Amino acid sequence: MFFRLLYQSFRRQQRRKLLAGIAVTLGVAVATAMIAVGVDVGDKINRELRVYGANIVVYPEDAALQVRVGDQEVKPASPGTYLKESTLPNIKGIFWGHNILAFAPFLETQVQGQSGPIRVLGTYFDKQLRFGTEEFSTGVEKLYPWWKVQGTWPSDGSTDVLVGSQLASRIGKQAGDSIDLSGVSARISGIVSTGSTEDNAVVAPLALVQRLAHAPDGVDRIYVSALTKPEDPFARRDPDRMTAADRDRWYCSPYANSIAYQLREVFPAARAEQIRQAAQNEGTVLSHISGMMLLIALASLIAAALAVSAAMATTILERRQEVGLMKSLGATASTIASLFVCEATLLALGAGILGFLLGDLIAQRIAQAVFHSGVAITPVLLPMVIILALLVTIGGSAAAIHRALNLDPVLVLRGDV
Amino acid sequence: MSVRASMFLHVLKRGLLGRGNRPLIAFIALTVAATMITAMLSLYGGLENKLNRDFRSYGANITVAAPDGQRLPPDALTRAHSAIGSDAIVVPFAFAIAHTSGDEAVVVAGTEMDQVRRLNAWWSVSKWPSGDDQALAGSRAESHLQVNHGSFDLDFAGRSLHFRQSGTVKTGSDEEDRVYIPLSTFERWTGIGASLLEISAPGSRDQIAADVSQLESALPGMQVRPVRQLLRAQGAVVSRMRSVMLASTLLIALTVALCVFSTLTSSILERRRDFAVMKAIGSSQATVNALFAGEALTIALCAAVLGYILGSGTAAWISQANFHAVVTPQLSVLPLVILANLALALLAATVPLARLQRIEPAGILKGE
Repeated sequence: MFFRLLYQSFRRQQRRKLLAGIAVTLGVAVATAMIAVGVDVGDKINRELRVYGANIVVYPEDAALQVRVGDQEVKPASPGTYLKESTLPNIKGIFWGHNILAFAPFLETQVQGQSGPIRVLGTYFDKQLRFGTEEFSTGVEKLYPWWKVQGTWPSDGSTDVLVGSQLASRIGKQAGDSIDLSGVSARISGIVSTGSTEDNAVVAPLALVQRLAHAPDGVDRIYVSALTKPEDPFARRDPDRMTAADRDRWYCSPYANSIAYQLREVFPAARAEQIRQAAQNEGTVLSHISGMMLLIALASLIAAALAVSAAMATTILERRQEVGLMKSLGATASTIASLFVCEATLLALGAGILGFLLGDLIAQRIAQAVFHSGVAITPVLLPMVIILALLVTIGGSAAAIHRALNLDPVLVLRGDV
Repeated sequence: MSVRASMFLHVLKRGLLGRGNRPLIAFIALTVAATMITAMLSLYGGLENKLNRDFRSYGANITVAAPDGQRLPPDALTRAHSAIGSDAIVVPFAFAIAHTSGDEAVVVAGTEMDQVRRLNAWWSVSKWPSGDDQALAGSRAESHLQVNHGSFDLDFAGRSLHFRQSGTVKTGSDEEDRVYIPLSTFERWTGIGASLLEISAPGSRDQIAADVSQLESALPGMQVRPVRQLLRAQGAVVSRMRSVMLASTLLIALTVALCVFSTLTSSILERRRDFAVMKAIGSSQATVNALFAGEALTIALCAAVLGYILGSGTAAWISQANFHAVVTPQLSVLPLVILANLALALLAATVPLARLQRIEPAGILKGE
């Protein structure tokens, strides 16, 4: 009898069930979508911020001080030591290797030009590397997407070079010309403008500069761009003074400091430091943005819950007559209440799953439209939103069921209430 | 007031107040809608400003450099300020190569310490210098300075000067290789004037681009450059977040609106007996429609005002908790919220009323 009532209620009151169902579906959908986007937006913005460039630098422990003011430069007496180019691919092998988005080595030297010394920077443009079985490419094209090149980027194996825009206008060269670098005739494939010191230098493939500087396999500095987690007090602690458990936790969190620490393990006798301007400030921006999105997700969760409760309460209040009839036919309050609760549960389950799928779809569309990549939705979210949907639907109905049960059946059936 | 009008108002009043807490559900639903719309619009409006402010913490977004070997005009600072306003932080820098007592070359930079501190809050400084003879040593330069009892000597073109080291600076870039001293001391010592201005201009990417051209005309012959990587990151993040917020606002508004719609529709359909009685005792269709619409609109108006207050509170709370910034309620949102709520209520009333019109009052009263 109970199940027949339940079945008939869904069969005969399709309009009401549809309205309530739509409300629950939409509520769950918006909650799912907002949580998914809110959780993921930090990661997405983190990637956007990486267009800023490197946030970690690696250089030899005993690197000489840079002494340069404008054109003036004092070269140290001894050239100092170099990092080994051949160990570079191992950067991908550190614990957070997947968070390393790009890196570029730099080697600097000076050659005599016709009108004074010329700074030459050697680097990777878009170099193919291999670590284990993993093939990847990295270089300044990825690391510094804001570099503007008129002409084409040189290829890493060639002797083509880029000339900084200020230097180019000073020595009267343009793309397609060739330039003499200590006896090597290099073709200028493009003019580079960065708004920084590279504008006054020649940027060449690393192998060429190693030859000019007589430093085979040598690298001065490595700039690394890594996805990191905003710094907190724990991140600033010294790993060598932690307990083993804390140290493991520190090591396995993608802080700029711990990634730098892991890079130091790859390059013995090197220092790896976070570039504070990039690392510190992106932490601020990131924590603000993800904090705001989570608060918005929370607010929309509450709003959706209230809206759904209101919709549920209305549909139950509409059915006072039904309640009156059942009561006058001898149904106990608990039977009637359990009937309504079962209805609400079925509704919440059905509409909850539908809403989750819809919310998933909406989150994907938003992420695709804004960031051109999808979002990862954790399966844990499904049971969470279903439980939430159950709570809200049953909770929203409870007060109305209570009211309906308290009414005198006689008055209700006469239509006086 | 005519009898008709006073009767109309009386029935409207009874419909709102005489039915216990029945209109309450519609009121709650509409308040929730207004709250969310207000909160999202307020946050959306303030977001760009807050993000732009966050990006100022990166430091300079414009640099003005004198051509190599030259110096900036002596009044460059005032000219820069008058070109782009006093909100901007403008910090002059002068550079020279000095020698330590161990005859090692090191770059010395003269600057205004309290301004640098405001501009580059991300510098990790153990203690800022406070006196004319105090110097801030870069963490890598420190070991080359031959520091003895907290002080060291530097030599520039035969003139030696004694400095007390106040602290060290760590940045992870070129600053660590330098020694920073107060600009006035630097100028007296070396006779070299400032050659670089680092400027943090407020506002969006476009405003900063406009500031660049202002500075170019105020300081002819100098190289004015935007810090391109910073502006690019700022532009990308601000525009992405604007889109995310817009999408979220639309999504939330739409969902809450649909829930409200279903609530209001049901609550009007539920009152088909009232509707039938009124028609049966001779009121015109227009009067009945006006009555139901009036009820819905009154509820919507009250809900909009309450929702505006609650929504402004929510937005203020979110900004405070997250950006630590005080947000004043945005009055421009109020008419929008009222309009949205009224439209929503009217739309939700229209559908059931149109349905009820097609039904004979007698049928409803008989309970069919």
